[in-house]
Amino acid sequence: MEFSYEVKDSYAEVKADGRLNMVSAPKLREFVTDVIAGGSNRIVVNLENTAFMDSSGLGALIGCLKAARQAGGDLRIAAVQPQVKMVLQLTSMDKVLTAYASAAEAFSND
Amino acid sequence: MVSPSELRRAVVIEDDPDIRGLLVRVLTKQGFEVTYAAAGLVGVEEVRRSQPDLVTLDLNLPDLDGLEVCKLLREFSDAFIVMLTARADELDKLTGLDNGADEYISKPFSPRELQSRINALFRRRPSAAADSAARSELERATEVQQSLLPKEDIRVEGYDVAGVFRPSRSVGGDFYDWYQTPEGLHLTFADAMGKGMGAALIAATVRAVMRSTGHRPDLDGAFASASKAIATDLDSSNSFVTLFHARLDAASGNVSYVDAGHGLALHVQSGGTAYRLPSGGPPVGAWAGTQWPQSGLELAPGDSLVVVSDGVLDVFDSVEDFTAAVQQATQGNGSAQAASSAIMALAPAETAEDDVTVVVVRRLPQEVAA
Repeated sequence: MEFSYEVKDSYAEVKADGRLNMVSAPKLREFVTDVIAGGSNRIVVNLENTAFMDSSGLGALIGCLKAARQAGGDLRIAAVQPQVKMVLQLTSMDKVLTAYASAAEAFSND
Repeated sequence: MVSPSELRRAVVIEDDPDIRGLLVRVLTKQGFEVTYAAAGLVGVEEVRRSQPDLVTLDLNLPDLDGLEVCKLLREFSDAFIVMLTARADELDKLTGLDNGADEYISKPFSPRELQSRINALFRRRPSAAADSAARSELERATEVQQSLLPKEDIRVEGYDVAGVFRPSRSVGGDFYDWYQTPEGLHLTFADAMGKGMGAALIAATVRAVMRSTGHRPDLDGAFASASKAIATDLDSSNSFVTLFHARLDAASGNVSYVDAGHGLALHVQSGGTAYRLPSGGPPVGAWAGTQWPQSGLELAPGDSLVVVSDGVLDVFDSVEDFTAAVQQATQGNGSAQAASSAIMALAPAETAEDDVTVVVVRRLPQEVAA
């Protein structure tokens, strides 16, 4: 899995490309924590190229959300693909992790 | 005789027979037990089979790109991966990327260089001995997990109840538990996040806590207090557990249940319809302040309650396909045991990366029950 980020006007966009599983989940958590530590607390995780997520991956997203809120901000997800969407719905985590069609829309209303 | 803890294994994935022969010789001399493959896919299978400590991987293979093979290997193997490439100009680019490989060597290479790079790898990261310690931790985790399963079959008059469990090699956090009550039975079905000993220990906690609240007459109150205890425990480990807990009143067929983030329980009716029971909230430990509503269903004679772990879901493209396949397997088999086994078989053992767990509670058709 490869990570990258870009600071935009009102948020930082994190891209997580590949499979979000037990191997990559701790790396995502570290990566996002670093972005937050760097001064961005409004995070959009762009999941456009995340084809698969398991429970460890979900755990990492939850951990990142907690960290962003802890820092006074928020974390939102964008461009969620079918398998990831399925996991979010089955676990009812779609009610906690808000999904947007694109990264640009995630913080467009506030 | 070398004891198993000292034995190091290596797999050579290389299509050129001369280079392959050289690699095998060098590694054998270095004390590795070496097997090899001449192409990418058979190489992946060989690594899966022999669980080596080291893999040498040619970048140019006849079937798959070496980088693709590396990605596939990283899905399940923590072996050191040394990539060999004849494209010396690409070496800089490769080393800058996180491809999952540990070392890159350009061809031609001297046997001495290969040896010293491999020795350096094993100095840098856990040795084969540490690796074998990790393996035996997995074995212990498997034991913990197995110990959580019910020891005896359950007999509830008018019902046929069965459960099956198949651990993955990396030990997921699945378990199920059931016990008889004066009214019928209590069933717990859980999957702790992650793998290995951590997941197995969380599963053990969940089982104990759920059993300890079983005597409380109100399901809502029992679940609220159990989930609170479990969440407190999970908080420190940044983990969560999906949990389905049901109570059956045998005489009426009424099932009351709470679903915390599981979402893979089905009510399969004898008439031919299957309803998936949506989860009532996030997994336990995932989000503070969550409350889970109690729901209910009625098992008519011939109906089944089927609870399946996500290890089966993973082989389907959608929840709808999954539901249809589980329904068919449930209705196409006469006993709960046969139905459970048929559902488990939907996720072939060779490809399943996660535990697979299935429980079927079938209310017997009236003519059989009478």
